[in-house]
Amino acid sequence: MTAPRTIHFTLNGAAVAATVMPHQSLVELLRERFDLFGARESCGQGLCGCCTVLVDGRAVSSCLYLAAFVDGAGVTTVEHLAADGDLDPVQEAFIETGAFQCGFCTPGFVLMTKQLLDEIPDPSDDDIRHYLSGNLCRCGAYPEIVAAVKLAARRQRGA
Amino acid sequence: MTPFELEEPVLLGAALALLDPEDSSVRAIAGGTALMLMMKSGLYRPRRLVSLRKLAPALDGVRSAPDGGIEIGAMVRLSDLRRSAVVRAAAPVIAETLLTHSNVRVRNVATIGGNLAQGDPHMDLPPVLIALGASVRLAGPGGERIVRVEDLLTGYLETVIANNELITAVIVPPQTGWRTAYAKVTARSADDWPALGLAVSVRVEAGIARDARIAIGAATETAMRLPGTEALLAGRAIDDALLQEAGRAAAAEAPVVADHHGSASYKRVLVAVHLGRALRQTIAGAER
Repeated sequence: MTAPRTIHFTLNGAAVAATVMPHQSLVELLRERFDLFGARESCGQGLCGCCTVLVDGRAVSSCLYLAAFVDGAGVTTVEHLAADGDLDPVQEAFIETGAFQCGFCTPGFVLMTKQLLDEIPDPSDDDIRHYLSGNLCRCGAYPEIVAAVKLAARRQRGA
Repeated sequence: MTPFELEEPVLLGAALALLDPEDSSVRAIAGGTALMLMMKSGLYRPRRLVSLRKLAPALDGVRSAPDGGIEIGAMVRLSDLRRSAVVRAAAPVIAETLLTHSNVRVRNVATIGGNLAQGDPHMDLPPVLIALGASVRLAGPGGERIVRVEDLLTGYLETVIANNELITAVIVPPQTGWRTAYAKVTARSADDWPALGLAVSVRVEAGIARDARIAIGAATETAMRLPGTEALLAGRAIDDALLQEAGRAAAAEAPVVADHHGSASYKRVLVAVHLGRALRQTIAGAER
């Protein structure tokens, strides 16, 4: 039905329910219903990565994801990374290396890096470029971003 | 996006019943990455979408077939396909192609069934699957039929899939003796939509191309084979002169069209150059 429906999912570690329309996207739901503004719609086509969130641990473009599809799933946004008051090692590495200027794209890069380091703890330059090729930084902080990923990887490995 | 009904059946039969043979605005949605783009641009305004999300357990997984081929469930996500050890062993070109297919986020969501059902000529997988001789299983109210991928795609965003049919699996036959390569040519970044996609599959014995399957995508209205170029290669000794001749033949044979990735004349040059390169790559593999 075109009518609203209630979905239940885990958002940043907490069980939540929400009423959504079938044609509502996940990024709209997060911003309009939950006041989570870390994911932002920029290109609207899955190309830029600014709307990146994790669904069941995997990065997705929340502008291309129907909100109804997260029913039963676990959603993590950038806000969750520092929920305990301490920044995530990936966030710290981005700050230390100066891996941004305006910061608009940064939540997407940070979350994409989370999936990368979950899957490849010691990524090569090629791995980093491959995982982050779908995230665009118009300030052009790419060299610092690659350095930040390497720094975060080293710290997480305890090297 | 305009409002629509969303149904989420858990059984294949229920999904088929929710599709409407008379209404092409009722469609199945898998990952939805391609449909979302069409809905957001207003190109597609569905009355109803039938989500296949809850059918995924039945349409998931990559299996080895007894004949040495593989069968890929329609709901297998492209990121899982890229990582599948079964795929890497049986048809490594699929995994290699997916490395520069869109980006990690899209591959985490998009499925192989949706990729084919979309009928978009700029997708990388259709020419690769055509060159591999792959087919799809189509489920409909009257049962199942098997259609070769080269017969599935009929035009720009057009396929032979009826309004009340669904792709349930992709069948890749055994590739014994065959070598396949895919040349993706982009006008911008490596993972952009291609200006040209050329998939080449050859069976080489003692320097002779016994058989060839050549499929083109992105430069044509739909992914298709180039039978004239295939025939030119068959039974010939492979040398630089033949590769150049084949490149020229493919550029003349392919009904190339312009888009914002390049003019038709530019794309014909790409075809002539990259066919030879792709063939060289397959032959080098075959003689290794």
